[in-house]
Amino acid sequence: MEFLGIALVICGAALAAGFAGVGSAIGVGIAGQCGAGVMTEDPGKFGLVLLLQALPGTQGIYGLLIAFVAILKVGLLGGGTSVDVGVFQGLGILFACLPTAIVGFISAIAQGKTSAACIQMIAKRPEETGKAVILPAMVETYAVLALLLSIILLNGIQL
Amino acid sequence: MAQSERYGYAVSRLRAMESRFVEAPILQRMLESEDLSGALKVLGETSYAQWMADGGDGRFDQIVEAELRFVLQETHRFVPDVELVDLYRIPYDFHNVKVILKSAFRKASGGSRRWELLTPLGTVDSGDLITAIESEDYRMLPFGLGGVVPDCLALWEQSGDLLEIERRIDGQLFKTLRSLAAKSSHAGIVSWIAARIDAENVRNLGRLKRFNSDIARVTSFLHKGGHIAIDQLLSIYSEPFEFWIRALTFTDLGPTLGMLSSKDSDLEAILVDMERALDDYITSVIHRYRYDPFAPENILRYLWMKEMETKNVRIVLVGKSNGADRNLLRGLLRHV
Repeated sequence: MEFLGIALVICGAALAAGFAGVGSAIGVGIAGQCGAGVMTEDPGKFGLVLLLQALPGTQGIYGLLIAFVAILKVGLLGGGTSVDVGVFQGLGILFACLPTAIVGFISAIAQGKTSAACIQMIAKRPEETGKAVILPAMVETYAVLALLLSIILLNGIQL
Repeated sequence: MAQSERYGYAVSRLRAMESRFVEAPILQRMLESEDLSGALKVLGETSYAQWMADGGDGRFDQIVEAELRFVLQETHRFVPDVELVDLYRIPYDFHNVKVILKSAFRKASGGSRRWELLTPLGTVDSGDLITAIESEDYRMLPFGLGGVVPDCLALWEQSGDLLEIERRIDGQLFKTLRSLAAKSSHAGIVSWIAARIDAENVRNLGRLKRFNSDIARVTSFLHKGGHIAIDQLLSIYSEPFEFWIRALTFTDLGPTLGMLSSKDSDLEAILVDMERALDDYITSVIHRYRYDPFAPENILRYLWMKEMETKNVRIVLVGKSNGADRNLLRGLLRHV
């Protein structure tokens, strides 16, 4: 039982980094294959395509950030001695990581699809690049909200 | 990658290829040019230029065909399911079979063969089709034609009825297309084939009206599987053409037929207008998928739009070579 709390924290960190990372990988992959299609015909659009392809990658970064915050909180990083974590505290940290894990996973895939559609849009109308960036950025809002919630919850847990 | 996103690369590439379509401004410039040479000079600024190096003014048909052939081959290379491109190319195989049969009939009555009418756009090499039909090895014919072609040859011997032969071959074509579309399990593709059947049925109805054919004969010329029921089409046959538009208003065909200049009493002019409206109808059915970035229907949409583009280019070039009126030509152009 003495390591259960720390195990739950590690589980939460792994879920945040893992799920958000997988979502980002799928999203970037979807946008990437569409980008490759457009660039086969028009290599000059590389800059615009790269920008749109990179957008779904942010959820993976958010997941990694939350994972770091969680494991830093219990002293697993930095070479110092780890803090004693109770089962309920560990459970709290695990749940605090979940918004970023779940919303990150789903929003990254949704953002990848939106980016893909916008890459197709700039293939035909390169003059609409500004609008093409805004549309997938709207999806980002919810990943940012989930990140904020995870940070607030993690800060609220007293060890 | 999920099944639904498999078409992302292909659809995106086609979107980029769409930017090279010969659209209204280029067609307008071609229309306004003095003669055929002027129109070809404008066409030389487009993707057709690569086929114009060794083509003289009179060879524009080969230029147009080369462009379409290149697009079909290119698309075949990168689409996830090549069956979609083949589905699009099958009507060209049936066209080739018709040409070969008609050449055989001409030859039998002392005429010459018309191999120049064969197209290389089909899925089967036209040489193989010729070999299969001339050597009477019908098992080598694809798409169920092995059963239809001998029947057509027997029918020619008995009655010489070319219309009936065309009907049988078209019937087999639509049966094949329907079966392949159903196998693809994409609703848009099934719907597009149904729209093509509708268009063919209405086209046949118009042609038979011109010949004043009796209703029993008309029935056999309407193919199953369209959006519009055969009974509904038969019910309007005996009515004047103006009534057809009103009767078909509540079908998918309504909006495009409604744009016809129905005041024109000349049936020939109406039929020409109707040809354009039917092509626009087929375009409108597949156009519904243009905003879905992963829809396989976009493959057919691109190929169909490319065919409409080549049709427009051909209309302008033929018109220019004949000295046709610009406004008349403008009215014939399809929506791209």
